[in-house]
Amino acid sequence: MTKIALTLTVNGETYEVLTAPHRTLLDVLRTDLGLTGTKENCLEAECGVCTVLLDGAAVNACILLAAECPGRAITTIEGLGGPDGLHPLQQAFIEHGAVQCGYCIPGMILSATAFLDERPAPTEAEVREALAGNLCRCTGYQKIADAVLAAAGRLADRRP
Amino acid sequence: MTRETRVVGKSLPRIDAAGKVTGTAVYAADFALPGMLWGKIVRSREPHARIARVDTERARRMPGVRAVLTAADVADVRYGGSLKDETVFPRDKVRYVGQPVAAVAAVTPEAAEAAAAAVEISYEPLTPVLDLAAALAPGAPLVHEHWRDYTAIPILHRDGNVCNRARVVTGDLERGWAEADRIFEHRFTTAMVHQGYTEPRAAVAAWDSSGQVTVWSNTQLPFEVQNTLAEILQMPPGRIRVIVPGIGGGFGGKLRVGVEPIAALLARKAGRPVKIMTTSEEELTAAYPRQATVIELKTGVRRDGRITAKEGRIWFDTGAFAGSGPGVASVATLMLAGPYRIPNLFLEGYAVYTNKTNCGSYRAPSGPQSNFAVESQMDIIADALGLDPLELRLRNIVREGDEGPTGQVLTAVGLEECLLRAARAIGWEDRRPGAWRGKGLACGWWTTTGGSSGVYVKINPDGTVALNTGAAEIGTAALTGAAQVLAEELGVDLDAIRVVSADTFATPFDFGAQGSRTAFAVGNACRAAVAELKRKIFAEAAAQLRVEPDGLELRDGQVVANGARMTLAEVARLSQLSGGGLIAHGTFIAPPTPYDAKRVQAHVYPAFHSPSFHAHAVDLSVDPETGEITIHRYVVAQDVGFAINPTAIEGQIEGGVAQALGQALSEEIVYAGGRVLNANLTDYKMPTTLDMPRVEAILVQRRSQVGPYGAKGVGEPPNIEPPAAVANAVAAAAGVRVTSLPITAEKVALAIRDRDGG
Repeated sequence: MTKIALTLTVNGETYEVLTAPHRTLLDVLRTDLGLTGTKENCLEAECGVCTVLLDGAAVNACILLAAECPGRAITTIEGLGGPDGLHPLQQAFIEHGAVQCGYCIPGMILSATAFLDERPAPTEAEVREALAGNLCRCTGYQKIADAVLAAAGRLADRRP
Repeated sequence: MTRETRVVGKSLPRIDAAGKVTGTAVYAADFALPGMLWGKIVRSREPHARIARVDTERARRMPGVRAVLTAADVADVRYGGSLKDETVFPRDKVRYVGQPVAAVAAVTPEAAEAAAAAVEISYEPLTPVLDLAAALAPGAPLVHEHWRDYTAIPILHRDGNVCNRARVVTGDLERGWAEADRIFEHRFTTAMVHQGYTEPRAAVAAWDSSGQVTVWSNTQLPFEVQNTLAEILQMPPGRIRVIVPGIGGGFGGKLRVGVEPIAALLARKAGRPVKIMTTSEEELTAAYPRQATVIELKTGVRRDGRITAKEGRIWFDTGAFAGSGPGVASVATLMLAGPYRIPNLFLEGYAVYTNKTNCGSYRAPSGPQSNFAVESQMDIIADALGLDPLELRLRNIVREGDEGPTGQVLTAVGLEECLLRAARAIGWEDRRPGAWRGKGLACGWWTTTGGSSGVYVKINPDGTVALNTGAAEIGTAALTGAAQVLAEELGVDLDAIRVVSADTFATPFDFGAQGSRTAFAVGNACRAAVAELKRKIFAEAAAQLRVEPDGLELRDGQVVANGARMTLAEVARLSQLSGGGLIAHGTFIAPPTPYDAKRVQAHVYPAFHSPSFHAHAVDLSVDPETGEITIHRYVVAQDVGFAINPTAIEGQIEGGVAQALGQALSEEIVYAGGRVLNANLTDYKMPTTLDMPRVEAILVQRRSQVGPYGAKGVGEPPNIEPPAAVANAVAAAAGVRVTSLPITAEKVALAIRDRDGG
């Protein structure tokens, strides 16, 4: 199969990737770029563990071809913060006990990031609506909703 | 226990949270090695058939293929828990759709998938055994013709398609019926459901030049996987190393070997590392889900509600292999008794073979099914006697010093408090607060599983502490709880503790992340290690401080005596100069729980260790047209003994209720003709954010005698009562009783229509 050359912008860095054209963004992120913070599960956009941001919008990387992504800004969990500077959502997830096994959490936090960008002061019902595409089997979602609401407050305080 | 605690009892953030929110935590699904191949399993397309031929020629010649594996490559051994009836690949016949028959390894996942599809298997179909009724019918085809030849623990009672019949007999049933004013008989059914962990099962296997194999897998039981691999590979366990990098949820579904043996065998044949990861379709057709069941209960009561006798049978559709079935059928008998004082009991649990996927263990195995039947019937009885369901329970529940069904003496029984607090919180006095709205209660009990745990605890020369445990952290924060116990005992802060876990080569033995035991058992092993460490620390410090060791204690990272003190870090440094450093091996095994052996037969689990007690209450509405259920409030009162980390325990309760509401309302692996109809996450419906109510958790704390600080197991219990609580609330709201799980809108609507003669 003829490979194609792609230039991908992930977390502000540029990557040159030579790949078969049918491969998904999820596969390229995890296998070629070693960014395994984006998780793999159902591969049919049902569970949301592979959620990344594409130009700021939350998308399922498992059904997106990498070939559709050049020229777009891709953000993965690795681009959101690190141990020295956690994003308010990451901090809130820790403080509220919203993390158990943690496998859904990168996708959950990225969905919440995109949502809070659009809706800085949401109600709990709106948070739940926004995260309905991200399955979590450990938490029952309550502490996740609490964490997102708390982070919304903190992000609002930061805004001028 | 009067001393103020500094670390235990506090809602501290879990110690592994930062890695999980930043994406740096490595899970088995993320693990990769240089030169790694991708394995793919070729699975049976028939539920029950002779294998006429397996032709791998075309697959072998496909591009990128490096190994093709069939039964001919595998030693002819059977493995399993209490009953050894499984093989890696079948030699004679397939027993379920999805059973592994062969496997391939190739340079890309796509090449492996193509090669797997090119393996040609010819079948000669046999009559499949499609459900419990077919399996138990006279003259039914046998799923295992040679069942008598299998190795099993001797106590099992087996017969054809029944791979165990466990029994509890107490008192005299006939006397109990004679004393009863009313006798109630009911039948319930429950569906097969999946644990629904978000990380698929995954394993990477690599052999080194000395002939040792290392397997990185997301198993909950690395030591059991090591031993099972030893049987399969015919190698000493010491030459097999199993490491758990991280687990994205397990809930019992990752207890037993899954893809590990096939990855190891492919890697050996290919001479390169091999990774296998399951798809959602494989998970829903060929994993270890919760057994579907049929339950029959006959209960005798006096007019005042006191239960005089109970006869119960539960049949588990355990699938093509025994799996956890013989044990689950045993535990079920204790759950069928319920947390009630019943003088005359005759209870049986059957594990039954069918041509379906091999069922396993799922959070509180047998609990939700048994409890659904027992607690639904309690409400039916209360209604028939004109008693309040809460009052009926209060007249029958076990209390301090009462006997359990097999004669164990119950202590630290917080059940009455759980019931009363759950009822008060839900507003029980107003059980039907509006049209089509009602409240339901259910209560139960559960065990804290035994088994042994070992830890090494090492004090570093900077005063930090390494906790080395064979237990895996599957998400429950159990190892954070154990670390809190360790920090408390050592007089250090939680952030001084670092954990290394779950590596069969490097970490001490642990019975595994199962049965709500990890924080309990590892926490106690930590206490034992600290007792040993204290002897060493105090001897060293006493010599330095010129005081008697007896007066020393550990506080705020220091060794403290009257007026004198030195830091733990300094003691550790000195110990490195003279004594090889500060390290201790702590161990724990739950003491046996005495019971009356005459009351049990073929029983793998005759008593509950440090049992927990719990009550759930729900307030919901039913749509009279569609049957749809809307949950307004959900309350759990759980006797946790002692809450080592209240926030983490609330997380267990909220998550356990969510999973169990899925089982109660929407989840079912649907089989037709031996094939799963809904093997994808679109049609297998797990609760989302929009389906879940807020769960109000009440932590009751009756300290156990054995657990650290009085703790009891907390992880599994929240999964037990939701189906029954929902069924009882639906009955209160809509006046219809649904006796099969899941309680779908369709079943509720049809029941309403039947009742109203529509």
